Amino acid sequence: MTRDWWKHLILILGVIIVIAPFYMMVSYSFKSPGEIDRGEGGFFGRQELMVDERCVKLRDPDRDDIAVAAGRFPGHSDSDIRDALLAEAQSDCSMRPVIFNYTKAFTEAPLLRYLLNGVIVTASIFFIQVIVALPAAYALAKLKFWGREAVFSLVLFCLLIPVHAIALPLYIMLAKLGLTNTYAALVVPWTISVFGIFLMRQFFMTVPDDLIDAARMDGMGEFTIVWRVMLPTAVPALLAFAIFSIVAHWNDYFWPRIVVTGNRDLFTPPLGLREFKGDGDGSFFGPMMATATVIVTPLIVAFLLAQKRFIEGITLNGMK
Amino acid sequence: MAVIDVSMTDAPRETTVARATQERRAAWALTAPALILMVIVLLAPVIIAGLLSFTNYSLGNSGFDWVGADNYEKLFTRSTYEKMFIATLTYVVTVVPLSVGLGLGAALLINTLGRFREIYKTIYFLPVMATLLAMAIAWEFMLHPSIGMINRTLEATCGTPFEVVPFIANGCADRFPLWLGDKRYAIWVICFIGIWQGFGFNMVLYLAGLTSVHRELYHAAEMDGAKSAWDRFRLVTWPALGPTTVFVVTISCIRAFQVFDTIEAFWPQGGGPNKSTYVMMFAIFEKGIQQNLIGIGSAITMLFLAFVMFLTLIQRWLVERKVHYK
Repeated sequence: MTRDWWKHLILILGVIIVIAPFYMMVSYSFKSPGEIDRGEGGFFGRQELMVDERCVKLRDPDRDDIAVAAGRFPGHSDSDIRDALLAEAQSDCSMRPVIFNYTKAFTEAPLLRYLLNGVIVTASIFFIQVIVALPAAYALAKLKFWGREAVFSLVLFCLLIPVHAIALPLYIMLAKLGLTNTYAALVVPWTISVFGIFLMRQFFMTVPDDLIDAARMDGMGEFTIVWRVMLPTAVPALLAFAIFSIVAHWNDYFWPRIVVTGNRDLFTPPLGLREFKGDGDGSFFGPMMATATVIVTPLIVAFLLAQKRFIEGITLNGMK
Repeated sequence: MAVIDVSMTDAPRETTVARATQERRAAWALTAPALILMVIVLLAPVIIAGLLSFTNYSLGNSGFDWVGADNYEKLFTRSTYEKMFIATLTYVVTVVPLSVGLGLGAALLINTLGRFREIYKTIYFLPVMATLLAMAIAWEFMLHPSIGMINRTLEATCGTPFEVVPFIANGCADRFPLWLGDKRYAIWVICFIGIWQGFGFNMVLYLAGLTSVHRELYHAAEMDGAKSAWDRFRLVTWPALGPTTVFVVTISCIRAFQVFDTIEAFWPQGGGPNKSTYVMMFAIFEKGIQQNLIGIGSAITMLFLAFVMFLTLIQRWLVERKVHYK
């Protein structure tokens, strides 16, 4: 420890730089606009009651409200009643900054909907990728057929093409089919994971042939073998692939940005955050950072709980 | 599928020829969905982009004209695209060596530690996991010229001995940089965030590579007179990490070429002050999708694909030449 102090010094400096934006994001999501502006309040802010000006404005009493409330304040003049109602609105609209920020995050924009879309899109992508890739990987690894080498070369060639790079022609194809602004557009380009095929093929190569022969003896067809015999053996590899795929698509911003324009019902979390930023004014830093925190948290928490698996999954590429 | 399943139950009675036919049919049935999707989703778009790059096509127009190599000519003559190449290359040439170097440095430091190594590893990996767009917005706040944490911290150093640094002295006398609004700093801020996000990924790969370096090699090197830590690194560690380095550099390059999120988040229009951060992905997005200039967008796409494929092929060639010392 004493001998290594300079190493810790360097590494801790790195930690500060790496953590800084996370610290700021979470901290701002706790603070009131005033505290953010003046840069005070430490990490959690002072959590003093604050008044939501927009909420008060919405409850600004008009003539009818005053007439209705007149029964509650007998013998008072209209302006007194008006003041009393305003005071009520003020107290009803005041809350702790942290609650203000997080409720605003969920009410100003349909954040729950965005999160749900994120789950739907990432889950569909992963399941279709597996349904397409697993049989192909099995055929390439364990079946002898004319053309196998050609198919495998095609897989190797397709590994060279990053889907983001061909976004423009894909967008044109989807636009011609009238599919932009649909879930299909968000999912289709990712349905084929050549990397998944390659990875699963390499994995299946290590599965002993005896296992498959035994299954054939039992009268299983090739299709049944894929799902009943190969799938269970592939669970560890699939788990790593799942993490790889889910992290990539939950965080993806480029592709949703291209195919989803304007239709909020289809926004994925990053798109929702982007829109929030676009129409937010200065006082909305808090709720915006709350939104960012909500979007980033699920993966970070999952990562902290299962670090080994996550690191394995994300660095899968390294197995090539 | 059902046909195959039923007939397979007769397998023991079949001749080997019939069996081979069965297997072939099953194999094609199993690969068909993947094959079809590969052709439609990956190969067709490349061909379409290739063809469209020689036209003046726009979505919504019924027809188009072949314009020959006009689009490519524009790419190499107009100053906008010159800025695009400069921004992209600056980014790649800065981010790749620094994120690989920092990844390696962090891995080497962490690898020699007994305690706390897991904590450092976890923290350095956090940016890789986090949604880049969200973190870009967090960085934008940190870099805010007046209320951002960075300029506040810098202002706090005014009047302290730190002021001997010319940068801080200038900042205190006048004002600290606008960062994202200043064309001198914008691209470097983007590079910094790219490095911040990517070096943990490289570190983890290097840590995995380091576990495969044999202890005996160090002893052997020491006997041969490699006394200093630098000698041990130069003679043993670095060569042993060859395959990892090839991979790490390639993947960092490909990722660096694809930078987009931060730039779109900071400057939705135009690619930064004076187009200083107008990288290729953003150009494809702006020209091809927002301005509907499909021809020019496709030309950039083809150039982009050429870069990425070239890099990957170099990597495969290096790997096949066996940079291994196993």
